[in-house]
Amino acid sequence: MAARGQRSAKRRSGCFLVMFSGVKPDKRSKVKGITQLGSRSSSSSSHSSNSNTTRSNSSSGSGGSSSSSSNNKGGGCKSHSGSSSGSSSGSGSPPAGTPPHTQMASHESLNSESKSSSLNSKLGHESMTVRDGSRTLRPDEPPLVPGEQLEGTAREVTYLCPYVGPKKGTLSVTNYRLIFRSPETDPPFELEVPLGVVSRIEKVGGANTSRGENSYGIEIFCKDIRNLRFAHKQENHSRRMVTEKLLQYAFPASHKLPFFAFGYNEQYQERGWSVYEPIAELKRQGLPTESWRITRINEQYELCETYPAVWAVPAAASDNDLRNVAAFRSRGRIPVLSWIHPESQATITRCAQPLVGVSGKRSRDDEAYIQHIMDANAQSHKIFIMDARPSVNAVANKAKGGGYESEDAYQNAEVQFLDIHNIHVMRESLRKLQEVCYPHIDNSHWLSNLEATHWLDHIRCVLSGALRIADKVESHKTSVVVHCSDGWDRTAQLTALSMLMLDGYYRTIPGFAVLLEKEWLSFGHKFAQRVGHGDDRHQDADRSPVFLQFVDCVWQILKQFPHAFQFTEDMLITILDHLYSCLFGTFLYNSERERIEKEVKTKTVSLWSLILSNKADFENPLYSANTKHHVLFPRTSMRHLCLWDKYYCRWNPSMRQQEPVHIRYKELLHVKEQLEKHVDELRKELAARQTHDSPRVASAIV
Amino acid sequence: MEFAELIRISRCDRVMLHRPHHRVLDGTLCITGHHLIVSAHGEEPEELWLLHSNIDAIERRQQGMTGGTLWLKCKDLRILQLDIIGADQFAKVADTLEDLIRVEDPMFQYPFFYRAMYNVLEDGWTTFLPESEFSRVIQQGDDWRISYVNKDYKVCSSYPAAVVVPKNIEDSDLVAIANFRQGGRFPVLAYRHEGSAVLMRSGQPLITANGKRCKEDERLLNSVLAREKRGYIIDTRTQNLAQSAKLRGGGYEPELHYPNWRRVHKPIDRHHVLLDSLTKLMDGVNDTNSGTDKWLSRLESSNWMNNIKETLNCACLVAQCLDQDGASVLVHDTDGLDSALQVTSLAQIILNPDCRTVRGFEALIEREWIQGGHPFATRHARSCYTPSAQRSKINAPTFLLFLDCVYQIHSQFSCSFEFAENFLVMLFEHSYSSQFGTFLGNNEGERKNMKAPERTASLWSYINRHEVLPKYLNPLYEPNQRVIWPSVAPMSLQLWAGVFLRWVVDQGPQEAAWLVVKELRERDAALRSKVSRLRRQLQDLEREALEVGILSPTMELEVA
Repeated sequence: MAARGQRSAKRRSGCFLVMFSGVKPDKRSKVKGITQLGSRSSSSSSHSSNSNTTRSNSSSGSGGSSSSSSNNKGGGCKSHSGSSSGSSSGSGSPPAGTPPHTQMASHESLNSESKSSSLNSKLGHESMTVRDGSRTLRPDEPPLVPGEQLEGTAREVTYLCPYVGPKKGTLSVTNYRLIFRSPETDPPFELEVPLGVVSRIEKVGGANTSRGENSYGIEIFCKDIRNLRFAHKQENHSRRMVTEKLLQYAFPASHKLPFFAFGYNEQYQERGWSVYEPIAELKRQGLPTESWRITRINEQYELCETYPAVWAVPAAASDNDLRNVAAFRSRGRIPVLSWIHPESQATITRCAQPLVGVSGKRSRDDEAYIQHIMDANAQSHKIFIMDARPSVNAVANKAKGGGYESEDAYQNAEVQFLDIHNIHVMRESLRKLQEVCYPHIDNSHWLSNLEATHWLDHIRCVLSGALRIADKVESHKTSVVVHCSDGWDRTAQLTALSMLMLDGYYRTIPGFAVLLEKEWLSFGHKFAQRVGHGDDRHQDADRSPVFLQFVDCVWQILKQFPHAFQFTEDMLITILDHLYSCLFGTFLYNSERERIEKEVKTKTVSLWSLILSNKADFENPLYSANTKHHVLFPRTSMRHLCLWDKYYCRWNPSMRQQEPVHIRYKELLHVKEQLEKHVDELRKELAARQTHDSPRVASAIV
Repeated sequence: MEFAELIRISRCDRVMLHRPHHRVLDGTLCITGHHLIVSAHGEEPEELWLLHSNIDAIERRQQGMTGGTLWLKCKDLRILQLDIIGADQFAKVADTLEDLIRVEDPMFQYPFFYRAMYNVLEDGWTTFLPESEFSRVIQQGDDWRISYVNKDYKVCSSYPAAVVVPKNIEDSDLVAIANFRQGGRFPVLAYRHEGSAVLMRSGQPLITANGKRCKEDERLLNSVLAREKRGYIIDTRTQNLAQSAKLRGGGYEPELHYPNWRRVHKPIDRHHVLLDSLTKLMDGVNDTNSGTDKWLSRLESSNWMNNIKETLNCACLVAQCLDQDGASVLVHDTDGLDSALQVTSLAQIILNPDCRTVRGFEALIEREWIQGGHPFATRHARSCYTPSAQRSKINAPTFLLFLDCVYQIHSQFSCSFEFAENFLVMLFEHSYSSQFGTFLGNNEGERKNMKAPERTASLWSYINRHEVLPKYLNPLYEPNQRVIWPSVAPMSLQLWAGVFLRWVVDQGPQEAAWLVVKELRERDAALRSKVSRLRRQLQDLEREALEVGILSPTMELEVA
């Protein structure tokens, strides 16, 4: 009954249950199936958020039967419900007569969880394979992923769920996750949180000071917009052990320990590390050309340590020129090609700010270099330099030796400021957003509270900046140079987004992986610093949700063009989950150089291994491949932007999807594929018979 | 009156028409008794036909003698701009249009002049008769009967000729009760849930300050309760409002005289408050110039989303009483013409899977709204673009709010409805301005008076034709017999872009996506039929092969 029970109980939250004392639902508990999201078997709880509506025992019975009865009538996806708990089903193809969806059950239950928390479901899936292996587990011992070890267990711990109330159970800490299981309900309530998600851990209540129930324990603040509170019993003396283990494994970097990714050794069908080959990607874009060459000048990361080894630069610029330009650009981040238009040869290049300073220094080499970039595009006699910052900030940077290109020095160049604020503003905005979204949402002021966070404002700025770049390249056939201060935060957002709009390849699953590997990882977005992997300094001013913001922008485009992307938002959520989880090596460290030093590619698994091996979970059935040649110009006014509630509000039980539309989509695709295959087989069989059998029979076929 | 008297100018050349999502149209303007027509000069035959009844307000700005600009603000929330050359022409066009949109006599409405150009297979006027709609309830039990006490609309002017009432209540009792209920709206059956729980609606009881009572009314209400069961009276006004209604001759059912009924107040805004809310919403929507505008806070302060929440909330409560508690419910506000209808119909959508089919939904609209006596003519006479000074307090977008609530449920349960979102949009448009007579007048009595059933075409006859209906079907539909509980959490409710934003925001991409879904669905169906055809063919071949002797029976077994 597992996955289905709760799905049928879809009744989101108890929000509408404006209860008055008289109406007590009997027979069925009304809000059956409200579970803590993130619990692996999300069907577990039959508690409702409204205490007076709970009658769990009878509820699960009648609720279950009601949903199963509907299965029969409904057909389609509903029939998964019953069978989805059995992960054993689905071996071999079904007999031709049975409806194809029955055999998808296990498949689907996996997906349904990936809805609620793709991360946890994946893990759940992986752990299943372990269990299927050889080792038998004690019932209260959680299944582990390969390389995971149980470090400590505390019993009689209470998880104070903000939605369904306290749950008593066992809290286990491994070197990768925190696992909480409560047998109070059937199936048991489960909660799993990778420790990489933890931003800070605080003790609540002292040994002598705490009075009252559940006042003594720990509170865990997470990077994925939620906080968890656990209450310990003082007399068990379990809090200290748990806190110590948590601190140790949540913040390995601060304890000189390796990341869990280095111990994780799951085998995947696909090798994600090979999804991005810099040369291959440049070749895909048509390089080298007459005007652009590929150089390995930075092979040893000496010219610029935060840039990748392979660059594409104007053919007219010699290696010596590159060195001179590097001296004039902040941190040696010179303008390097990100994308070239296949027809017009207009380009997007990225760099850091020029070191103009208060005195207004100039560099002939840099000016000539920009001219080379412009000349490489015969279509236009102009070039745009997009400075992502507000102009005030750009000016202020002069005092620190930076600045922006003056139009006097750079002939034919036009500088435009895109007004995107810095990482500190974004961090503050997300903090406010988190307050608005978790745990409880203020019904009456939701929209104005949301507006006050300015989160959508910032999204709008980034999107419209990227749109402007895409428009210049596509409609005006003009090359664009993009930079901010250092060229690794806002610049990465802008180039990656405009490339996503311009080039349909990046809207496929492998293409998106290439886009992230190239524009974000290889060009040195400081993931380690911005996310704070394994680092306990939660107030570090270098942290900022720059990448999250980018993914949010991708989602906004995806929402406006639902058939232009090969992947669904589930993939975006999975990527964000693993941005924090430290399960994969992909997002670890700050630059390509550091990753090579730490041998990330050989010692850890790539996130793309997971995604490419489970492509079916992320595929968008609405994708129509002929949009590949379309250029997307998303609308960026406030009316077109929405809060990505499936991400920011996903812990709220009322966000549970009411109907498994996605599953249905997937099912449709699956059915279609099956039927097509079947038609093929039958056709082949017929053809075979035609040749074998007598001509008389053959003629009957027509 | 003749239209010719009003039309001072019937043709005007060289006008420029600006409309959302279209290029500027340069053409000729024609004004007929019911339509405003702009047709393009030049090669492409582009035309705009607009019913005068769709125009909510006209704003004019004259520019000296050169002409001027007219803004036509429509009830479907679109705003059109007409540039007219020549001061004289401009003034004539403007005056003509202003007179035409204010023609009040219902007999001059377009539906009486519209002739359907197709064969009516099933007359929508007779498709949803109470006799057939309630046949199950009537046949199944002995508890309910159809009463024709209102056959000449004298007992209650807003009720239809046939209503369903408890069997043991005589027609004479009903007359007595009608005198005790606002507008003569005695409690009638709206819906019977599985088991014996029923949903009824009525007008407020005329308790007055003296505390009048009516034995028959009490008997009627008690008779619907099963033994030892309690019922719920949902009053969609605040306690205070209900209290003060007593002074104006109304009131609420006192506990003393209705001991088995528990009264709950769930206030829902209505009338001009609702229209003001819509006005604020549209002000925000149409104000596209205010750059980094305060869009979200404007949306919030319009209170529209909150109205949706309150209405859905109340409907959920009613559905909960019926479904979880098995208790009967009576819903009323003051008149029982607005929020009561919203609540009873939404509760049915939540509970009754039949109401989520095209036919069932049409029946619901017909039963609860059209026969139920929602005064479409007065409510929809003016809409949000009319300056507030010219509105009356009884103009209200009640029906639009109801459709929006349905849309919210629809978007949360997108597979459970047979119709697509555009079906709701279509209903919204026709309820304000239409060539069909379905939404004419304020109630069945008025429509009978105008002879609407004989003289006009029904919207349902048009929609249910197989040439038209597929356009409004939801490709994702899978019948879902369950009760569907919508979420009313603020992030679950979304602004209905298909109505409110469609003239500002191009809905093209969404529509394209739906087309893809539809195609997928069709391909799926085609492949399925192909498979079964091939399978049959294979069987035939095998049989034939067996007969001819090419295939031995053992071989056939293997194949099987």
